[in-house]
Amino acid sequence: MLSIKSLSKTYSNGVRALDNVNLDIPNGMFGLLGPNGAGKSSLMRTIATLQEADSGSITFNGIDVLQDKDAVRKQLGYLPQDFGVYPKVSAEDLLNHFAVLKGFSQNGQRKDVVEDLLKQVNLWDARKRKLGSFSGGMRQRFGIAQALIGNPKLVIVDEPTAGLDPEERNRFLNLLAEIGENVVVILSTHIVEDVTDLCPNMAIINKGQVLLTGKPHDAIAALNERVWSAEVSKAQLFDYQAKFNVLSTRLVGGKPVIHVFSEEQPEAGFHQINPDLEDVYFQRLRAHQTNASAA
Amino acid sequence: MIRGFFSFELREQLRSPLLWLLSCLFGLMAFGASSSDAVQIGGAIGNVYRNAPTVIVQFMSIFTLLGMLIIGVFVSNALLRDFELGTADLIFSNPINKRDFLIGRFAAALFASMVVYAVIAVFIFIAQFMPWIDPQRLGAVSLKPFVWAFAVYVIPNVLFTGALLALFAVTTRSVLWVYIGILGFLVLFGISGSIIAKLDNVWLAALLDPFGLRAFSRTIRYWSADERNNGLPAIAGYILANRALWIGISFIIIGAAFKLFKTERAGTGKAWFSRKAKAQDAVANVIAPAKNTSTAEKISPVSNKRTGLVQFIQQVRFDTIGVFKSIPFLVMLAFGMVNFIPSAIMAQSMFETPIYPVTSQMLETLNGSYSWLLIIIALFYAGELIWKERSAKLGEVTDAMPVANWLPLAAKFTALVCVVLCFQALGGVTSALIQLSKGYMHIEPMVYVKTLAINSIAFILMGGLALVLQVFTNNKFVGYGLLLLVLGAQIALGLMDFTHNLYTFGSAPNASYSDMNGYGHFLTAQFWFQAYWAVFLLILMLLASAFWVRGVSPTGRERLLLAKQRLSGKTGMALAASACVFIGMGSFIFYNTNVLNDYMTPDQQLDVQARYETELKKYKDLPQPRIQAIDMAVDLRPEQQRATFKGTYRIKNMHAQALNEIHIQMNDDKTLTSIDFGKAKLTFHNEDLGYRIYTLATPMAPGEVRDMRFTVEVGEQGFPNGGNQSALVENGSFFNSQLMPSFGFNDNFQLQDRNERRKRKLGEPMRMAKLEDQAARANTYITDDSDWLDFKTSICTAPDQIALAPGYLQKQYSKNGRNCFDYAMDRPMQNFYAYLSAKWSIKKGMYKNIPIEIYYDPKHPYNTDRMIESVQKSLAYYEANFSPYQHKQVRIIEFPGYQRFAQAFANTIPYSEDIGFIADLRDPDNIDYVFYVTAHEVAHQWWAHQVIGANVQGATVLSESLSQYSALMVMEKEYGKDKMRKFLKYELDRYLSDRGGELVEEQPLYRVENQQYIHYRKGSMVFYRLREEMGEAALNKALSKFIADKAFQNPPYTTSKELLQYIRAEAKPEQQNLITDLFEKISFYDNRMVEATAKKRSDGKYAVSLKIHADKLYSDGQGKESPGKLDDWIELGVFAGDDNKDQKTLYLKRHHITQKDQTIQLIVDQLPTEAGFDPNNKLIDRVSTDNRKKISLNN
Repeated sequence: MLSIKSLSKTYSNGVRALDNVNLDIPNGMFGLLGPNGAGKSSLMRTIATLQEADSGSITFNGIDVLQDKDAVRKQLGYLPQDFGVYPKVSAEDLLNHFAVLKGFSQNGQRKDVVEDLLKQVNLWDARKRKLGSFSGGMRQRFGIAQALIGNPKLVIVDEPTAGLDPEERNRFLNLLAEIGENVVVILSTHIVEDVTDLCPNMAIINKGQVLLTGKPHDAIAALNERVWSAEVSKAQLFDYQAKFNVLSTRLVGGKPVIHVFSEEQPEAGFHQINPDLEDVYFQRLRAHQTNASAA
Repeated sequence: MIRGFFSFELREQLRSPLLWLLSCLFGLMAFGASSSDAVQIGGAIGNVYRNAPTVIVQFMSIFTLLGMLIIGVFVSNALLRDFELGTADLIFSNPINKRDFLIGRFAAALFASMVVYAVIAVFIFIAQFMPWIDPQRLGAVSLKPFVWAFAVYVIPNVLFTGALLALFAVTTRSVLWVYIGILGFLVLFGISGSIIAKLDNVWLAALLDPFGLRAFSRTIRYWSADERNNGLPAIAGYILANRALWIGISFIIIGAAFKLFKTERAGTGKAWFSRKAKAQDAVANVIAPAKNTSTAEKISPVSNKRTGLVQFIQQVRFDTIGVFKSIPFLVMLAFGMVNFIPSAIMAQSMFETPIYPVTSQMLETLNGSYSWLLIIIALFYAGELIWKERSAKLGEVTDAMPVANWLPLAAKFTALVCVVLCFQALGGVTSALIQLSKGYMHIEPMVYVKTLAINSIAFILMGGLALVLQVFTNNKFVGYGLLLLVLGAQIALGLMDFTHNLYTFGSAPNASYSDMNGYGHFLTAQFWFQAYWAVFLLILMLLASAFWVRGVSPTGRERLLLAKQRLSGKTGMALAASACVFIGMGSFIFYNTNVLNDYMTPDQQLDVQARYETELKKYKDLPQPRIQAIDMAVDLRPEQQRATFKGTYRIKNMHAQALNEIHIQMNDDKTLTSIDFGKAKLTFHNEDLGYRIYTLATPMAPGEVRDMRFTVEVGEQGFPNGGNQSALVENGSFFNSQLMPSFGFNDNFQLQDRNERRKRKLGEPMRMAKLEDQAARANTYITDDSDWLDFKTSICTAPDQIALAPGYLQKQYSKNGRNCFDYAMDRPMQNFYAYLSAKWSIKKGMYKNIPIEIYYDPKHPYNTDRMIESVQKSLAYYEANFSPYQHKQVRIIEFPGYQRFAQAFANTIPYSEDIGFIADLRDPDNIDYVFYVTAHEVAHQWWAHQVIGANVQGATVLSESLSQYSALMVMEKEYGKDKMRKFLKYELDRYLSDRGGELVEEQPLYRVENQQYIHYRKGSMVFYRLREEMGEAALNKALSKFIADKAFQNPPYTTSKELLQYIRAEAKPEQQNLITDLFEKISFYDNRMVEATAKKRSDGKYAVSLKIHADKLYSDGQGKESPGKLDDWIELGVFAGDDNKDQKTLYLKRHHITQKDQTIQLIVDQLPTEAGFDPNNKLIDRVSTDNRKKISLNN
């Protein structure tokens, strides 16, 4: 159980990366949704002991994360968003190196761990190859392998599926789901389906603030009967955006289809749809933006 | 289109701060070099004007070599910028012309480079107007040299470098490889220089240098100061050929670069990596099987005490291996090897005769050609290692791992140490393999280990500093920049006369190694300083670990807070403790260098010398007593590098008036602990100048003899900041009479450097007394304290050592566990003696009834037989031709290579281990300089120890030039005339090139003022030619008469003028002019074979027609030349066969030459192939290669 209380962080350039963040994250997969620059990475880095906070606290199973960093690191698995490798080192060598740094000081034990992980992420056959020759998906799987060294109790993965093809992405998410049963897994993403599919719990953050936290299904249910859709012409699009609370615009077969948030049917031609998490996400963001500009 | 690319690129380049930064940096260097002696580019200017045309051209052309790095930036920017920034696709998807793009960009890069040289030129031009420059060191202001330099050097060289680097850039598409290319080029440039710097390869050497530097220096090699001040070479000969060749090559390279330039994406060219792509797909397609089981049985790490250590070792190993596998390291390693191996294989010390690959010499070569690359490696990889994780975007991963905060920095420093040590070890192993390959089996592994480890310390310290600067600045480029700033500041401090090692990071007095003495006592000072700096580095490391950035870079304030927090615990205590140790060590060092020893900066030392002159010159020529006899008891403790001398001088007043005062001069005043000559009062004592005046209670009456007793205690107290004394050492002590008290003002203590004198308003330097100065003939040129004296000494040394001094062994005994020797000389000798003590082996030989003994280090037995043979043959020749040998014994004694010379004392010849003892004489084609040096030193027993010149001009003709002549004769008997030709070629070359570096005034031989290039080099040439003309018998007759009349004489001493009278007396009337030319003038010939043709006659013989050109010039002391009148006998030769060894002489006769141009007809019996005018280079001719010509056969 990870508990974040009133966490705030302002960068020296004045950007409020975290603004009084409060979150309780139970075991299992936890989805962190938000647009680029929302503060997801700042939050994750802070949890991963890589960044100091200005105020607030984080506790993980009784450990004060901000103070007792070493204790957290022993239980931590972290896959940062922009993750690179040494191109000339083989997968096995680098994973072995990481295993030592994670604290596996006995050779035999470490060998087993490395072998196990490489098999688990299906890189065993490629273990001797230089990491520079890995595809994006393989590299990402290698990343999760290093994050899983030493049976971590807290796993943080930042935007892991960006740039993966659908098959790689599925395989990757399955892997995550597998480990996510008994430990805390925080998955940050801006791909909404990832969260819908995988995460029992989630939060939406924007501009450093938590806009929503809870179970995806509850959040979706809250929008029931209030999301409308219509196919419109390109010329009308601007009018609609001015008139209604347009959550999203998407081209379907070359024609714009808009989702509108409204208690009633906005106008003829709109039909009610079953909301999904994406609608929730946009509804919250729009609401937040309106509040922010009103303030 | 071209114009568009050009102006865009030029704008970009001119906007870059780097261009202006580098321009100003180079400009300042040039400014410094032109306006002061503090900065030197390509060697000191010497006596040539600061703004002499040749100096300006040399500066500008050297900058074209240094400028490669700048041009590298410009060219790679211009050509690769788009690929680096990823804008290439944007540009090349436009319909642009590749040729226009390249020409435009390339031209702009070259233009920008020219801006740098324009700035440099402006700085050099301005420098000559600086008020602090001595106006006497300036010539006329002129723009011509700049125009010349740009046209002949700067533009062609920029074109060449630009072309070459463009080729690197387009073929590799990597800035890194462009730089590696530059580095490789510079190293190859250096190596090719050392390989082709042989005398016979002049044309090749001049042509092979793309920068034309060697063509230039070759052309002005023999120029006098006057020529250098006033002229520039014609664009002809070496320079023209070189320039034409390399401009042509530049265009070819440009063409190739254009051809190879591809606009496609980077990476498409690397087809050789593509085989991996397939395998990758194969793996990616495997679907992951369910792995639930492994999740269940996952193991967690157990952390215990060992964990940290294992992590540390792993990190060190990982980083070290990473460096080994990286390209820059491998490139450096390859360069180092390419640099080291040839120089180690071709190791030589004199006359290109090889030396045995003894370990100490191999290590010296290794250090100079290979290990220095470590400074680049250490500094470069300091940055790479600190940024390794972060630049691979792995920083967040590793930072989130449970490793201690101290671990990464400590591991990276250790990795750096490992890299340095492994690099050194590879060099050591290579060196040992070279030794083995040369059949040298005496490899000393421990010497390797010790030396390589000691030599690594400085690199490790610098690397550590670079590491912490990277941590503190937390920005790779700022870190490197700060490092350069620190290095620059240290150099600047040194230039500003701040030279103490206590404030110059990492600096320490360099312990020199000698085969005989190992590191001796020299390591103490080095280790103290290095330990001091190591502790300083530890402090920096502790601080750096507190400022170590983990995760996201915090702001400065946060870092400070964090550091404070981290320093509160153990780290802080360690910091405080090391700070205390640092201060403690610093204080101890300061006590040693500044309290126990006198620390003086170079300028302060010169100031003391200046004071010596201004305050004490009034005592010059003051009548003082003369030493009649010396009796000295020496207690030498090599173990402590100390010695106590208890001496007695029997002194006599040789003057007509009584002496009231005795003036005592010491090298170091502190060493004189007691002195007693009856009742006397110390009336003047200047400790800095080492000068004392004792006023005698009863004046010394004319003719009175007294005993003066004194004690001198020599030995280092603690250790100095630099320049440990090397005279008293554990094994191989060698010290001489200069440690003893002398009388009155010593001319030799005066400041000699003309410029330093001007700075201190001291006027012109003291010169030797004129040849005509009769008063100066009262003294020899060695001392003014005595004439011939009786000498007796005893010396006690370590129980396992032998101690030697001039004279014959009277008694050897043991006293208080010391090994003691009594020596006495049986006849008067010069006041010139030395002591030596070491563990030697002895090789004995005999000449008639004269024992010959070689005292040598057991490691160097190679040439002792050669030495004995040389002594035997020398004694035989000199006794037969000059006079009997005055002593009953000859001893040659090896001393450590801290100095490289041999020196002749009475019956005692100390001989440095570095010359002769390790020469490899197995190839008979090489010059046997062991034989030659030995013969020269033995000759000094006649020329210096029988006849010695008065202290006037020309004195060294009587000792050095005559010893050269004597040695040449012995050598010629042994090795034949062909070898002499080879030897004399070196002598001629060194005479001609060294005279350009004359600081005062070149003298004709008979007025030589102790100028080495004259009395040795020209002396050889002059006496050899004189022998050719007069005949050996006549010349030796003159010398034996001279020696018969002048040997062991009392004042007034003889002079070179008197020697010439003896020579002229034996010479024929037609040789008198020649003697004038050789001795009394500075004369040069310009002889050449213009045309040589032959025609077969009906009787089977050949008619040879030789068109020859002769010219004779006289030069004044500054190199100004005037025509001379030809009236000379010069050899004309016709040869058959190859110009190699088996050449046959068909005709060789001296012809009387009186006109410049003529054609001479000869008839020879056989088919001639080559003809020569002065074919064996016996005359002093600045172009010795045009004296011979192949004969063309006409039918």
